[in-house]
Amino acid sequence: MIDTARPAPRTAPVPRSSHPSTPHPPAVVEPWDVAARRRRRSGRRRLAMADLLVVATWASAAVAVALWLVSPGSHTVTGVSGVLTDAGIVAGLVATDLVLVMLVLAARVPLLDRVVGQDRAIAVHRSLGKPVLFLLLGHGALLTLGYAAADGSGPVAETIALFSSPDMPLAYLGLGLFVLVVVSSLVAVRRRLPYEVWHGIHLLSYAAVLVALPHMLSAGSVLAHGSWQRAYWIALYVLSLGLIAVYRFVVPVVVSLRHRIRVVGVEPIAPGVVSIHLAGRDLDRLGARGGQYGVWRFWTGATWWHAHPVSFSAVPTVDRARITVRDLGAGSARLGRIRPGAAVSLEGPYGLFTTHARTAPYLALVASGIGITPVRALLEDTDLRPGEATVLLRGTDDRQQYLWRETAALADASGSAVCAMVGPRARSRPSWVTEEDLRRGVTLGSVFPHLLESDLYVCGPQSWADLVVQDARRAGVPAHRIHHERFGA
Amino acid sequence: MRARAVLGGVLSSVAVLVIGWQVGGQTATTASPPTSTSDTSGSGTSGSGTSGTDASGSGTSGSGTSGTSGSAASGSTASGTFLGAVAQTRYGPVQVRIVVSDGTITDVTAPQLTDADGRSVAISAQAAPVLRQEALQAQSAQIQAVSGATFTSEGYTTSLQSAIDQAGL
Amino acid sequence: MTVPAVPVRTFPTMGTVVSLRGADAETAARVRAVFAGYDHRYSRYDPASVLSRVAAGTLRLADTPEEVRDVYALALTWRDRTAGAFTPHRPDGTIDLSGVVKALAVRDAGVLLDAVSPDWMLSAGGDVLVRGTHDGAPWRVGVVDPDRRDALADVVQLDAPRRAVATSGTAERGEHVWRRSVPTFAQVTVVADDIVTADVLATAVLAGDETDLARTTADGTVDVLAFGVDGRAWATPGLAARSCSRMGA
Repeated sequence: MIDTARPAPRTAPVPRSSHPSTPHPPAVVEPWDVAARRRRRSGRRRLAMADLLVVATWASAAVAVALWLVSPGSHTVTGVSGVLTDAGIVAGLVATDLVLVMLVLAARVPLLDRVVGQDRAIAVHRSLGKPVLFLLLGHGALLTLGYAAADGSGPVAETIALFSSPDMPLAYLGLGLFVLVVVSSLVAVRRRLPYEVWHGIHLLSYAAVLVALPHMLSAGSVLAHGSWQRAYWIALYVLSLGLIAVYRFVVPVVVSLRHRIRVVGVEPIAPGVVSIHLAGRDLDRLGARGGQYGVWRFWTGATWWHAHPVSFSAVPTVDRARITVRDLGAGSARLGRIRPGAAVSLEGPYGLFTTHARTAPYLALVASGIGITPVRALLEDTDLRPGEATVLLRGTDDRQQYLWRETAALADASGSAVCAMVGPRARSRPSWVTEEDLRRGVTLGSVFPHLLESDLYVCGPQSWADLVVQDARRAGVPAHRIHHERFGA
Repeated sequence: MRARAVLGGVLSSVAVLVIGWQVGGQTATTASPPTSTSDTSGSGTSGSGTSGTDASGSGTSGSGTSGTSGSAASGSTASGTFLGAVAQTRYGPVQVRIVVSDGTITDVTAPQLTDADGRSVAISAQAAPVLRQEALQAQSAQIQAVSGATFTSEGYTTSLQSAIDQAGL
Repeated sequence: MTVPAVPVRTFPTMGTVVSLRGADAETAARVRAVFAGYDHRYSRYDPASVLSRVAAGTLRLADTPEEVRDVYALALTWRDRTAGAFTPHRPDGTIDLSGVVKALAVRDAGVLLDAVSPDWMLSAGGDVLVRGTHDGAPWRVGVVDPDRRDALADVVQLDAPRRAVATSGTAERGEHVWRRSVPTFAQVTVVADDIVTADVLATAVLAGDETDLARTTADGTVDVLAFGVDGRAWATPGLAARSCSRMGA
């Protein structure tokens, strides 16, 4: 039992080793209730901030429409043409606002990463794609019909007339590019495209945004010269594009130059799995917490054009870091053949799969296959009391047990329980456990003693992890306590 | 999305929209003067293009009932040209001028246009087709100069300008 | 009531005749000198003029007096503003500023006249610039009917700020305007706040087509009366209000 009256016995401080895979015993541990309160508070703050961001997004769309309501002439509606034109203007304003929101979501802003995590930000970005496209198409169609009704001509004649207006051909081009980007990102289409092709098409969205800007400034009645609505919209554009420029381009370059990361060793640890040992300067100042990942680019002839999201498999020390990657395709297979000395650039570290995201007293970790990497790093990075954490290691066979020994050693050192489940997934019904464990009635609740008071961290293959999450929800674990790192974008 | 977030988003959006509507409505009402009671054709001039050469009378459309009253006298025998107050249209502020003859508006034009985006101004100011009437005779026109294609020195002697210069009117 | 006859002074210059009202003899002589100066510099009919020498290649544009280069720059600005309908170059590429020089001369003469007289009228072959009133009433300028040079199609009243009228047409000197497209207009009259704008825009619209007419009238700073080669006519609403004829829809 933990006696809260007396501080926990301190262990002798151990000099920080430069080999990351030697686990070091935990440092001074804060009292249980203090830790619990701190976690609850930070969790509440994070959730409040996340809600605030959602509210801000809705409000920004409302502000876009409100600015139009404030501009003169919006209150008078004359007949069908007026209604159509007004609807077209509103659709365009909301669409533009949401496009800028999408840009900010994809900009890898650290605030978003700390509050909701990059993966959720990208998921929201993806979900906005189709609605925005419909709004943009509606904008074009409604305005064409509205102008046609006002002039007494047909939609075809009106389109031709619009084409001869200044900046309008560019607007049509922007719309076409946006259609291309969204269509190429539909799941059915994206699956068929090689990643580089899809990525190249997606970069056209920058062109779409910029090419559509002139017609907004010259033809948009809300953005009349000298009005502060114009200033507001230009400021929004500058802000969104500025965030992208800074956090997607400038910061990674600065980080890579500052830390001079390079490969010092490539260690195969299982069939198809390699640990890449990295060296650099001040790597402990990267801010990488256990469980985070980075987007890595290895500057050799065969690999420079491929950027890989890979988790840190250990907490970086001053001059050493380690990532472990499984060969999932041609690109990652080449990583196994990188020679020591290759330069490396890093975008990140990103991810909310860390001890920071904990809100509950206990910790439950479930990892399968390559999912062990962030879990092992997380375990290393957390100050744990005996009995606080429980780890479940899952693997199909003995080839999937890399890093298990290290993880077990870390768990032992902190007094955490470890159990392993080896075997293929049950076939009788969809489940994340093996067939015999299914028959024995093994569930999350039976594995983790305090499941309903735990933060559950899950990492592994997508479909398997989804089953674990499903099970957890069914067992009553609240959604904000389930942490699931998805490598998608 | 969490319920709290959705609720907050909807509420704040509605609030912003309402504020925008109110502010916008106010600027519209302060721009339009009270309509004169005798001006029954106030709404008739919007969008109906009652002016003679102003075939594209949509320049005045969208101004609702405002802007056409100006300082028209309430008597039915009022005649003259009046400058209306500035009317807010979808294309920006427009000031109209009306010609009243015996209490009825016979012409509406927009002589002054403040800066607006290109599309709106083109509608109000562009040259509309007109019917050509028969040519006027110079003598009845009381003019001091004639503007036409530039005549040569030789052409001058037989031109209207020469006749006017000699008459010295 | 008898109206005292106002002496009308006329003199030939730039290949046409200038009529001047409201100036005494000495002022008229100075106005004549202004025109002569421009003619001397810019005439393409006089091989000794500065511009003829530039066109022939014996004088570099960079070596011309600053005033000539300023006029050229002004003409280029107007070329941009009219999207090329007005251009200071002939089709063979040589420089020809006659489209703007007459108006500039009228403008400079107007400055001179403003210093000595509150009411005057200056007409240079159809480019008319006025100041003040004619016996208390606005100056009235007739617009020639393009089909009959002895009859008027319209009369325009010039009250401030619209003080200038210019007409471009082919009736007097034949096809001398370098057209951009199939001829749409036979005669274009522009009423503006200054004579250079009126003159340049009249030439530009005459050389262009209905798109140019629409662009010219888009911002409402000028009034235009245009006659097409097919007999159609266009007028801006402001002109209809300003005119005293029986133009109707």
